Order: sequence, then structure tokens, then C-alpha cells
Amino acid sequence: MTVLEFLSDRLNSLLLQAAFASLSILFLLATGTQAGVVRLLSLVWLLSVLCIETTGFLRLRSHLQELENIMEGLDRKYLFSECIPKSRSLYERRLTELFCRAGKSMIGAVSDAQAAQKEYREYVESWVHEIKTPITAAGLICRNAEPDTRRKLSPELSQIEAHVERALFYARAESPEKDFILRRNKLSGIAAQAVGQHKALLIQSGVRVETSGLEQTVYTDGKWAAFILGQLLQNAVRYRSADSDPVIALSAKPLGKQVQLTVADNGIGIPAHELPRVFDRGFTGSNGRVRGGSTGMGLYLCRKLADCLELDLRISSAAESRSSVAGHPQPEHCPNCGVTADHNFITASGTAVTLTFPAVHSSSD
Amino acid sequence: MQKILIIEDDPVIRDELSLLLTNEGYSPLAPADFTDIPAQAARYAPDLILLDINLPGQDGFSLCAKLRKLIQAPIIFVTSRDSGLDEVRALSLGGDDYITKPYSIPVLLTRIKVVLRRMGRTAAPSDIMEYGGLRLNLTKGTVSAKTRIKLKTETAVLTRNELQILACLMAHAGEIVSRTDLIETLWDNQIYIDDNTLSVNITRLRGKLARLGFPDFIKTRRGMGYQL
Repeated sequence: MTVLEFLSDRLNSLLLQAAFASLSILFLLATGTQAGVVRLLSLVWLLSVLCIETTGFLRLRSHLQELENIMEGLDRKYLFSECIPKSRSLYERRLTELFCRAGKSMIGAVSDAQAAQKEYREYVESWVHEIKTPITAAGLICRNAEPDTRRKLSPELSQIEAHVERALFYARAESPEKDFILRRNKLSGIAAQAVGQHKALLIQSGVRVETSGLEQTVYTDGKWAAFILGQLLQNAVRYRSADSDPVIALSAKPLGKQVQLTVADNGIGIPAHELPRVFDRGFTGSNGRVRGGSTGMGLYLCRKLADCLELDLRISSAAESRSSVAGHPQPEHCPNCGVTADHNFITASGTAVTLTFPAVHSSSD
Repeated sequence: MQKILIIEDDPVIRDELSLLLTNEGYSPLAPADFTDIPAQAARYAPDLILLDINLPGQDGFSLCAKLRKLIQAPIIFVTSRDSGLDEVRALSLGGDDYITKPYSIPVLLTRIKVVLRRMGRTAAPSDIMEYGGLRLNLTKGTVSAKTRIKLKTETAVLTRNELQILACLMAHAGEIVSRTDLIETLWDNQIYIDDNTLSVNITRLRGKLARLGFPDFIKTRRGMGYQL
């Protein structure tokens, strides 16, 4: 609070006092009081006003500062009105009471919303678990169906599975309590899990998966990591190029104490100007719009889950027919550049996503 | 025949799983009555138990603890609950494996086999396969044949892909194995190849077999697949 702010706040009362004082001076002079006495009186009046206003200003400033400090120190700011000291001024006490009531209703609304979110998450989780039973049953029945029906039905079933899985992980990623378990995992196991889940889709699309260097060990939640990897595989299938045989390369290499896993494809790639936004929720991009069926959720979820697991997730891409520097990612999007250059099969276009697993602190389990 | 007890409350899965396991040469029992599972289990004395977690009346965790007190048979949890905490809990209560629904059938069967073998209830599978005069050694990755003229054993070394292809064909000797089934089997063994690569591998495999004196060992059934 500045002096000027304080003065403008007190303007009315100051003006009133000044007017009253002037009128009194005029009255005193008119009734024949000596000018010297009037001057003395005015001086006393002026000094006392100055004194009172100065202390008022200083008091108010320190009070406000105290409140500021309380606010700064609060973890949950909406509890502010509960934490301030009781004031001596009646007006302020009343005001605080009103804010306390407002705050209480807000706290109620917040905890209601949290409870509702928790309930919703629990419902989604139990729903997902319930829906998996009929999917399993359908899978078992499908096995006995005619080969032709089976071939057509099993990709559909795995599509349902993939969507259900996304819903489950969405509920998990959005909820405050993250129930993942960091354990020692072999990258090859995680990769096998992810590829196995999308086997039907990958085989049907004629994709070849190349793996290298996956014997690395990482500390992470295997299921979550496999889910992220699965999303990347699905994207690679969806945005494969019609011109060349689709290939997905999974490769890992140690990066100091960290381990970097790269998923690279030779698909149509992502235009450079869209790259910064691919992790946004609901962003489908020009590829998604042209092809349809994109939800804009896959990469968003990947980013969310990767943040939970403290994985560093980066994407680099060269788009078909757009990029002048073929096969090389835009440097500003790929600080760990040189990743795609390792994969010499990327000649015209493709996308590479790197997942960097955090350092393992101890080598024992 | 090995007895497998299926504790599962969904009737369709129960029936289909029983059928699947019967076809695979096991003798499954799937009770539809969940009142006194431990007593039923003790009477049946299974070699393996497949246990669901969400069951009417009580959950699979407490059931597992009760079963553990009565019988020694390995328990595989088969459930749709896939959180890591459930898995840890299941394994710490004495479960031997934890499979989440929806499972892939080959994976389920393999893990049943693995658990049974670990418990010593089946002999380890032979790493030698034989068919039509050819001897396939799965651990060494070689195929050998006695040549008719010199009566001497000749051996060819196979790559991982060729080995799996030949093993799959030998396992279904006499039957037609479609290209898709072959590719799926290879993918289950972490060999992620496409249709073209399969053709290349088959050609190389045929070349090696021809040098051993079996030029037409793998027959192409046009439009259907391959057959030994």
C-alpha cells in the first residue's frame, strides 16, 4: 500500500475535515477572534490530523503486511479466512465472518468435487474391470469361431480392449492418488507386453517390429510403461505411410545413468508446426483430421503418465513431403538430437519418440 | 491327466475355459457353487488352481489364504483387476502367478505349463523334436538328419526365426498351418516379422533342409498355408 493509495482512500474524510476547519476559521475570524489565535489553532489541528493519519497509515500497512505473510505461508490458500487473527475493528470482524462463511462453502464445494472425482474414478475402474470379463469371454468364444470370423473379430476385440485400457489409465492419471509401483523391469519385458497387447493390430497392418538393445533394466511401473509404449505403437500403426513397408524400431541405449528408449517409425510424420502441440489434450492435428478416428487422447495420456513416472518424453518428426531436411528432426524439438539419425531406414519421413527412464540409484534390488 | 480347478463366477468364461483346457489335454473342474470352495478343492485334489478375485460371497484373496492351508497345488490368479497393488497382494498370499483379463489364450496356456513344470508336476518338455527323419534340437538350434547313402548324421544350424518356424510346423505335423497362425506364433516368441520376412525365412529354411536331403519337407498349400 502506498501513501497515495492510503490518501485516496481517506479522501472523503480528509476533505470533510478540511472544509469543517475552514468554516471554523472563517467563523472564528468573523466573530472577532485574533488572527494569531486562529493561526495557532489551525497549526495544532493540522499537526494532530497529520499525526493521527500517519499512525493510521503505518498501522494499516503493517496489518496488511501481516495478512500477506499469512497468505504466503499457506499451502491451501482457500483456508486463508480461517487463519487470520481476530481483529479489534468491528467492521473487519464482520467482514472476516462473511469471508469465513464464503470460505466454508468453498471448502465444502472443493471436497465435494474431490469426493465426486474419487467416486467417478472408482466407478470407472470397477466398470473397466467388469467390462473385461465379457471381453475375455468373447475372446474365448472367438477362438472357436470360423477362421474368417475369428480373423475379423479379434482385431475388433483388441480395439475394444485398447479403448477400455485408455479409459482406465485416463481415470488413473487424472486422480490425485497414483497407485503405481516402481519395480525393477527389463525393457524387453515391457516391450513384449506392449507388442503382445497390440499383436492383432500390428500383424493385421503388416508392420514389422525391430528391437535392439532392450536388455537394459529400468526402475518403473511395468504396466504403465507398457501402456505408454502401446499408445506409441498404435500411433505408429495409425499413421503409417502407404508408400513404404511399415517398420517400427524399438531401441534402447544407456544415457549416462539413465536409459533412453526410442520408438521410431517410418510413417507419415508430423508437420513441424504441429509438433509442440501433439501432447495437448484433444489435439488431433492435420493427420488426424485427414484420416479420422483420432481422439487426441493417446499422446496426452502418455505425457500425463510419463510425468507421474518421471519419464522424460520427447517427440521428433519429419513429415512427408514437407520437410526439406529429409530424415532429420527439427533441432528445437529434439535436444537429444541424433536419435533418428541412428535409424538409417528413415529416409523420407517418420516419427521418433524417446522415453528417458530416470537414473537407477542402486544396482541392487 | 492333470486336474485344473477353475474358480470363476462368469458362466461363459467358465464353460469356454473348461472346453479350452479339455482340448489342451487337461482335466478341468469348474464348480458353479461357491459355498465351500476349500472343501470342494480338497476333495478334488487339483494339480493347479485358476482363481478369480471378484467372486460372490468372498474375494479371491481370502480364498487363496484358505486354500493354501488345505492344499499345496499352485494357484494362478486370473483376474480383471490389474493394479500393481493387487498383484503384489496376490503373490504375497501364496499365489504362484498373476494373469490379467483379457488374456491372450497362448499366454494363459504357456503360463499354466510353466507353473506346472516349476512345481514338478510335468516333465520338462523335451528339447528334441522329431518328424519324418529330421531331428530338431531346440536348445542347440540345429536340425540334423541321417543321410541315406553314407549313413552319417548331417547337421545344419538354424537361425532363431527358422528354428521357431520349424518347431511350430513340427508341433502341428501333418496339419496345415496358415501363414497368419505362423506369424502369430512367432510374435508370441518375440519375433516380430511381417509377411515378406516370413517368406524369406521359409525359403532359407527350405534351402537348409534341401542340403540335408529333404527338399520338399515343407509343402506349400496354396491359399491355405504350409504343411509338413
